[in-house]
Amino acid sequence: MDSKKKREIAELMGEIVGSENVSIHETDMVLNSVDAWPLSEAKIRAGEMLPLADIVVFPNSTEEVSEILKIANKHKIPLVPVGGGAGTCGGTLPIYGGIQLDLKRMDKILEIDHESLTVRAQAGIIGIDLDEDVLRHGYITGHTPTSLRASNLGGFIATRSGGSMSSLYGKIEDLTLGLQVVLPNGTIIELKAVPRHSVGPDLKQLFIGSEGTLGIITEATLRLFKIPEKRSFRSMCFKDVKSGLAAIREIFHSSINPSIVRLYDSEDTAMAMSNHFDIDEGDCMLLLAFDGRKDEVDLDERDSSEICLKHGARDYGEGPSERWWNHRYDMYYPTKYTTAGFSIGDTIDIVATYDKLENVYWAMKEAMEAHDVVVMSHFSHMYPNGGSIYMIFFLSAPDAESAWEKYKLVWDDGISACHREGGIMSHQHGVGLSRSNYNEGEWGPAFDVLRQIKRMLDPNGIMNPGKMGFGGEF
Amino acid sequence: MDTDVIAGHVRMCAACPKMCRHVCPTFFAWKSDSPTPHSRALLIHQDIIGTRNLDERAIEVIYQCLECSHCLTWCKPEIDIAEIVEQKRTELVKEGRYPRKLEEMRKNISDFHNPYGEKDNARIQWNSSNEKAKGKKVFYFAGCTASYREQTIAKETVSSLGNLGFQVVVDETEQCCGSPLFRTGFTDDALRKAEFNTRLLNETDCESIIVTCPGCYRALTRDYPKHGLEINKPIQHISEFLSERLESLPAKQMQGSFTYHDPCHLGRHLGVYDAPRSVLNRIFVADLIEMERHGDNATCCGNGAGLRTLFSEQAHEIGAERVKQALRTGADYLITACPFCKNMLDSESDGQITVLDLSEIIGLAMRSKD
Repeated sequence: MDSKKKREIAELMGEIVGSENVSIHETDMVLNSVDAWPLSEAKIRAGEMLPLADIVVFPNSTEEVSEILKIANKHKIPLVPVGGGAGTCGGTLPIYGGIQLDLKRMDKILEIDHESLTVRAQAGIIGIDLDEDVLRHGYITGHTPTSLRASNLGGFIATRSGGSMSSLYGKIEDLTLGLQVVLPNGTIIELKAVPRHSVGPDLKQLFIGSEGTLGIITEATLRLFKIPEKRSFRSMCFKDVKSGLAAIREIFHSSINPSIVRLYDSEDTAMAMSNHFDIDEGDCMLLLAFDGRKDEVDLDERDSSEICLKHGARDYGEGPSERWWNHRYDMYYPTKYTTAGFSIGDTIDIVATYDKLENVYWAMKEAMEAHDVVVMSHFSHMYPNGGSIYMIFFLSAPDAESAWEKYKLVWDDGISACHREGGIMSHQHGVGLSRSNYNEGEWGPAFDVLRQIKRMLDPNGIMNPGKMGFGGEF
Repeated sequence: MDTDVIAGHVRMCAACPKMCRHVCPTFFAWKSDSPTPHSRALLIHQDIIGTRNLDERAIEVIYQCLECSHCLTWCKPEIDIAEIVEQKRTELVKEGRYPRKLEEMRKNISDFHNPYGEKDNARIQWNSSNEKAKGKKVFYFAGCTASYREQTIAKETVSSLGNLGFQVVVDETEQCCGSPLFRTGFTDDALRKAEFNTRLLNETDCESIIVTCPGCYRALTRDYPKHGLEINKPIQHISEFLSERLESLPAKQMQGSFTYHDPCHLGRHLGVYDAPRSVLNRIFVADLIEMERHGDNATCCGNGAGLRTLFSEQAHEIGAERVKQALRTGADYLITACPFCKNMLDSESDGQITVLDLSEIIGLAMRSKD
């Protein structure tokens, strides 16, 4: 955008939100564009600049968002909605410049409905602020992603995110009962908060996971849960991934729904657990937690333990599982090891049904390790019919160019192996930029349905261009 | 801090997924990613490695920091952005690239020896009972805020120490401790004040020095020695001094419920958390009700490191938020141990909670006993 147009548009934005809530300073573009994509972080460390918007605007209401979209649409200016800026896939990087619409001022809790057990809040509220507030009223949201301190409600929904207790409470698509969305032309739509309905397709699911490409989520109504009477932790160590997965399946198929189910492969067990607990080399640790009424929790824990022991596990008691829970955010911090030189650590968070899950794991591991990277994994976010694998890799290279190249190869081959074995390439992180090129392949012919919806809602293609596989024409 | 260490720290912090941002008071006030710990680090990182030099807006961002160190509490790699910001401010001042709005404060301290521009010879006008007691002599370094803006704190401190049997010495030639100058990068100006105060305090025949201002406390005990200026007698914050004499304080005299605000300089910067609590638990009938964010997780009052001077509206928003946190406890009193914090919190209390400094509540307790 040339400087004259930039000033003109900024002036129009200022009339909507107040000039103090608009910036065209390059410094503000630099500081507000940073996300949590490991490649962005590696590039920052290497001294590279990330893509910059031309204007950043901070609206304070749905109506202001609507007015901003009308202007962006009229002038055909790319617009990227930004929540907490904690996305791990580059989904908020303004790769075509334009307007960055930042929702951080829209951070109010609007209503807690004690009768229906719901909370209605603006999209910009940071996850931990929402969590702390409902906790004061005796509730939990059940949504505990590792990014909770940095990500916000709109981002949760826009990326179809999942928390560490999704086995019991569900992912954000299960927790979201109602939505308010502003369409690219500025129209505000309300999708009422109800537990279920039968009035046609569930339109809110179209926007959950749309990553700012179809509209902007401005408010949401979430389910709440009373603080569980009891939460217990149990840890079991298996000789291999296969026996651990067999135990997990049997637990779910015995109608037990633990809140946390995390099976670490031998490499991840060694990395995450062996410094704190005496674990035989090659063993795989399973972390379990149970939430609910005391009698139910006790029963579920007892039965789950018996199932694990039957599958050859060693009982480690509550220690490793409770320790993980108390330190669950620690792994999100940078360390000297993970940030040294031109290194990158990233995760491909795939999901598959049980019949395919282990094959996907081995195939991806082999494909990724072929590039001389360290791969360690855990099976988490498990459900009765399957679950997710965190395929974590670390790479280091002598220079930036070879690091970025190797990073792409690991992703290409990892995703290819995932698709070949019948997995889906993300459980909760989203598509963003890192998976954008693979998305049409992921969906197959069904992607055309999505593309047509995109064209209808956003004929000018202004909404977060270049993401989700939709391409961009700027 | 060594420049290589800074380079390593900001490199890591700039690319952190914002694990501390949720407690950063300036993020709360601006609701933008610009005035946040990782952004400060990013600007300095890019400046160091040559990606992008600091422009005028970047310098403004460097000054949109309270140096409260709340981010450090949440930082596993233990990166002290407040210290790095302060060091950068010192460089900026040397280069003449600092917000001109700070000039008035700087000039006031230079000309009148206090940041408020009040007459320096009026510094101890509040003192009507100087040196009336006969016990051991202690020097009360009152600091500028208690001397000119929160004089009840100064009066009550002298009165309480007198009641405990100490002869309290105050000196009208005392000058600003230099804290506002150190925190905003005017190190050379600060050191001129430091040299004067060091001489004054070293020449007094008192056995020890008492302060009520944590900003002064940090300056006298950390900043002065860092620059080779050693004070030759013990220095204590009033809370520490009183906590060593709990038996002499009136027990369970104060009615009502209370919460306590940890001043950043006293808590996170100097590690004094227990002393004020032990004093308050001694004089109140009820037990302390902690705010959700307390101790090393306490939210700043919004009044530090030049923020109120440069960005008054946002500083007050932060103060109001801290008052809200206190109101959530349902307490009758919000007690702090810092004249500067008290001044800000009181200004935002809107009569909903009684805000007092530790010295003021001690004074009330002593009179209540009588």
